[in-house]
Amino acid sequence: MTAKLRGMKTWSKLAKNRRRPSEYEIVTTNLQTRNRHRDQAYELSPAPDLAMNDWYRKHVFDSPLQHDDWEEFRDPDSLIYRVYTRSQDGQEEYIDGLLNEHNLIGHDGDLPPEWLDTLEKLYTPRRYLQTTLQMGAAYLLQIAPASTITACGGFQEGDEFRWLQRIVYRTRELQIAHPDRGFGTRERDHWENEPAWQGLRELMERALVAYDWGESFVAINLVAKVAADETLRELASTARRFRDPLLASLADNQLQDCDRSRRWSAGLVKFCTDAKEENKAVIRDWIDQWTPLARTAITAYCAALPESEHSAESVIARMQAYHRSLET
Amino acid sequence: MALLQMEEWYDLARETNWTPRYVPEDELYPLPMSNDFGIPVEKWESFDEPYKVTYRDYVQSQRDKDIGAYSVKAALARSDFFRKASPHWKALLALHFSAVCWAEFHSASAFARMTRFSRSPGMRNMATFGTLDEIRHGQIQIYFAYEFLKHDAVFDWCHKSSKTENWIIISLRHALDDIAHTRDATSAAIMLNMGLEQAFTNLQFVALSADAAKCGDHTFATMLQSIQTDEARHAQIGEPMVRIMVENGRKKEAQQMVEIAFWRMWKQFSALSGIGMDYYTPLEHRESSLKDFMEEWVIGQFGRTVEALGLDLPWYWDILKHDISTFHHANQIGVYVYRATEWWRPIAGTSPEEREWLEEKYPGWNATYGKCWDTIADNIRHGNYDKTVPVAPPLICNMCGLEVTGTAGENWQPVNHHVDIDDRRYHFCSEPCKWIFELEPERYKGHKSIIDRVFDGTIGPEPDDFYEYMGQSPAERGVDGYDYQWIDGYDDLSSDGLKRAVG
Repeated sequence: MTAKLRGMKTWSKLAKNRRRPSEYEIVTTNLQTRNRHRDQAYELSPAPDLAMNDWYRKHVFDSPLQHDDWEEFRDPDSLIYRVYTRSQDGQEEYIDGLLNEHNLIGHDGDLPPEWLDTLEKLYTPRRYLQTTLQMGAAYLLQIAPASTITACGGFQEGDEFRWLQRIVYRTRELQIAHPDRGFGTRERDHWENEPAWQGLRELMERALVAYDWGESFVAINLVAKVAADETLRELASTARRFRDPLLASLADNQLQDCDRSRRWSAGLVKFCTDAKEENKAVIRDWIDQWTPLARTAITAYCAALPESEHSAESVIARMQAYHRSLET
Repeated sequence: MALLQMEEWYDLARETNWTPRYVPEDELYPLPMSNDFGIPVEKWESFDEPYKVTYRDYVQSQRDKDIGAYSVKAALARSDFFRKASPHWKALLALHFSAVCWAEFHSASAFARMTRFSRSPGMRNMATFGTLDEIRHGQIQIYFAYEFLKHDAVFDWCHKSSKTENWIIISLRHALDDIAHTRDATSAAIMLNMGLEQAFTNLQFVALSADAAKCGDHTFATMLQSIQTDEARHAQIGEPMVRIMVENGRKKEAQQMVEIAFWRMWKQFSALSGIGMDYYTPLEHRESSLKDFMEEWVIGQFGRTVEALGLDLPWYWDILKHDISTFHHANQIGVYVYRATEWWRPIAGTSPEEREWLEEKYPGWNATYGKCWDTIADNIRHGNYDKTVPVAPPLICNMCGLEVTGTAGENWQPVNHHVDIDDRRYHFCSEPCKWIFELEPERYKGHKSIIDRVFDGTIGPEPDDFYEYMGQSPAERGVDGYDYQWIDGYDDLSSDGLKRAVG
């Protein structure tokens, strides 16, 4: 009844690769529309007449971080949505089990007062830190010039929110076990006024307004998030000493998500520096520019950890080790 | 189990606003990304999503949904459905998937803007699920579309269309960029969720899913239903936002946002879903007409929702009631006759039996649009195929990017809606499209329609230049999906018989 149809082996855009594309490549590549025209990221009046086109031109097309074809970036984990939800569902099931078991044995009732002070001051206020990380990932994904970067940012945003809610869950459990304390009521006060938090808060507030997309990526994913997450690792180490295996286990699980962020972030750095030598200096300069604030933040937070001498040095060393591992 | 109930801790996860100290507040929430419309932050903090879900429950339910949708696909991949599907259904699948895959994926960014720049913590959290949902909708649909690629190269456009300058893609990008991607977080939340998702996704996903099930395309039907369950959840972001605006003296602004977004999306759905429902769906499987569906689900249900929120029905409601019986019929003629400018194989959808259905659903169709099809059919019957393709380019609306049309036949009452700015004349298909332009000319006046690009030299003068500009190689130019054989039905009828069949 109709002409014979002509089929294709794969998307024309992927055909040049001369190999069978993965499901990840089939469903994640080439889906961005805003990276086509410097003055007209969006299909309305060009910059400067439309403020959003002006914003995108300034912060993406004219960013010091340059690549000729951002859409070629690939997530080293090749993570897609249906694998993300499947694996996170498994992880959440594990977390449910942890929480259930510890609740059954009355874990929170046995925690020593000194450790409860620490939880109140340094753990439960982390929901504010998670919010800033959630917002940071959200900016990155909406400004990124490739759909493969947007996908990475989206899953990272999901992870940050995951831990925001789990920290809140723990906050309420602690509040129930210790109603006379400030759990569930004093977190904002700690976040806004407690000296231990002011470094991380300043780091995050400033990183959130680094609107150049390349700088935002470096400031959040290579510096601020690494610093924030490493302070969690240090808190977890301290927790083990204070007989709080629950916090330690929760943190270990959270740090698995952080590792995934570091893998794709390192992949993006390599992708940039492989393409253009000058990107090395751009990224290095931004890391250098943001690291002092991160060091201050780490030092202030770790100084408040009990029985944790030299913990700030350890955290800073781990952050620097990550920076050294990057191909810059 | 000794686990807390969601109600015991959920609200605390919405207490996440803080007062910035190290950067000014307006730098953390700057224009054009953020706009609080002068409403105090504690009012925004009252945002209460009607449908609450935790991350823990989200990943579990989404995992289950994907297992369901993908397993149906795996079973049906072996069923040879596509090979046996009619050219009608193939045209519908090609049009649907080429338009929605990138568009949905792109929406992840609009939700991310809400998460980063909204003042409502509850909305930030819900929008995070919105972002994840839209990544899902882009990925699942493009994966399903990929299955067809080995049979039919037109499905390559499900992947490549996002970056082309094809006129239909320009039209869709213009609409979505206008309502979702170039607005501040508050406006985008209202415009995307109310104007698009709450108003129209039922049309695309519920109605289309019913048609797909009737056609035996269970893969497509299951996937669409699965997507709609996500849309129904995250679309609810819009209502509390409108409520906060209305309660705090910003009804006028909220009203305008809904009116702009609804009209812009109506034009897209009219052309894409309208043609899909009334022409591309095989006759024997049609559930209801676009008009039926619009009257029940949109004019009825959405209209009541708008009023319940304290807004008024859009000022153009009477224009809409007329448009649901007209615009897509006229545009179907344009889409068919300019078929080479499309990447799929368009269907006329006007066999004598189909015309009977159209006349029944749209009384007067034969005396109006039918007259154009009489001429097209007559030319095909006499082998004058070239006469079915207009020599002149169409007039394209400088707002919706679709053809400026009227009602054919005796009801032909052309109105030239236009605006003159800086020695340039802008044409519009309708009063609402012109109204939107005049609200904010700076926003729109620098954009050029595909026809503007022909006349200003952006597109070269040779015939092939036009297609190359739109990303269409000679093999990617649409031809009649039935190789004109749909006309056979006309040959079986005498002149009188044809008159009876088609009115």
